[in-house]
Amino acid sequence: MRVVIMPGFSELIIVANPTQEVTREGMLSIVMPWLYAPWPNAKEKGIIEMEIDGDTLRALLAELAAKYKEANVELQPINPTTNDLDFDYDVLVNGKNYVALVDGLDAKLKDDDTVKVKILWRWDG
Amino acid sequence: MLDQNELIRYNRQLIIPDFGEEGQRKLKDSHIVIAGIGGLGCASATYLTAAGVGQITIVDFDTVELSDLNRQILYWEDEIGEKKVVVAQRKLSKLNPSVEITPIFAKITKENVLSIIDRSQVVVDGLDNSATRLVVNSACIKKKTPYVYGGVSRLRGMITTIIPGQTPCLACLFPEGDSGLGVIGVTPAIIANLQALEVIKLLTGHSPSLAGKLLFFNGDDIKFRVHEIRRNESCPVCSQVLLQQEEKEQ
Repeated sequence: MRVVIMPGFSELIIVANPTQEVTREGMLSIVMPWLYAPWPNAKEKGIIEMEIDGDTLRALLAELAAKYKEANVELQPINPTTNDLDFDYDVLVNGKNYVALVDGLDAKLKDDDTVKVKILWRWDG
Repeated sequence: MLDQNELIRYNRQLIIPDFGEEGQRKLKDSHIVIAGIGGLGCASATYLTAAGVGQITIVDFDTVELSDLNRQILYWEDEIGEKKVVVAQRKLSKLNPSVEITPIFAKITKENVLSIIDRSQVVVDGLDNSATRLVVNSACIKKKTPYVYGGVSRLRGMITTIIPGQTPCLACLFPEGDSGLGVIGVTPAIIANLQALEVIKLLTGHSPSLAGKLLFFNGDDIKFRVHEIRRNESCPVCSQVLLQQEEKEQ
């Protein structure tokens, strides 16, 4: 699966197998530059293209985590202990939370599906 | 001037070369607000009182409950039902009688936040929800008062030091997430003590370490990560354009 990744504010926006050109139009400035850590040369353009081995949401998230790990950044949406989404993250597919998908993290991504990986904040005291 | 008692009480920090008597005097002449005196606030208030910050205003609208006692170390079982700010004032004043502790029993709102943080040099986050944090964030930007955000859940926490006009504010980052996820008592203590250290640096004129940086603490594997964060030039709270407009209108 070919994906286009756009680091946003505290999120990654990813388009699966885009059938049209993907641009950052409408997206504002970047506040978390470390989201570019695995792709330092992509900072200016703000768009990263990547091939994923597999076509599921889980494959995408696992490969992203591996890429970040290579860059010494911990961004691991799937908790290795539970094999489910870690509570530091939220994942939406076309605006829908992944838990609403029939196959959850194992849902197959279709052409032009947009995945948002959000880094969640801690609010308890 | 520090008196003989203060020279003895603060000896261990006075002998730090970059701190010394000058640093202690700065702390003594300082006024901070601790917004929320729960898990985070109890720990930061304890250490900042012990360190000798001159005036500390503590704000909370809650009473002590049994379920607070795993982490809110200023409260004990025989104080269940009492106002947290009253109990905290009593304990903190016993810890260091030279610190002026002002309790405010109130919920922080858009209406009262500016008067609550008025004249404080730093606001310390001890809150437990995003909505009130964003209210405090906005007021701190308006008043140009540094705000040391801290938040926790389970075994994880985050901190950033917000310097109005220089660093990103909370609203820059479109923060999202849930509260009420539960917390192990030591997690807020770890985060709050790092917040307290940032406050001491700010008050004594040292550069805070987490200005423009976001620290993530993960107690699952005891890892700290620090990442750079940048201002959102279009931030609805702290963009220069907006602040300049507001200044003109005043």
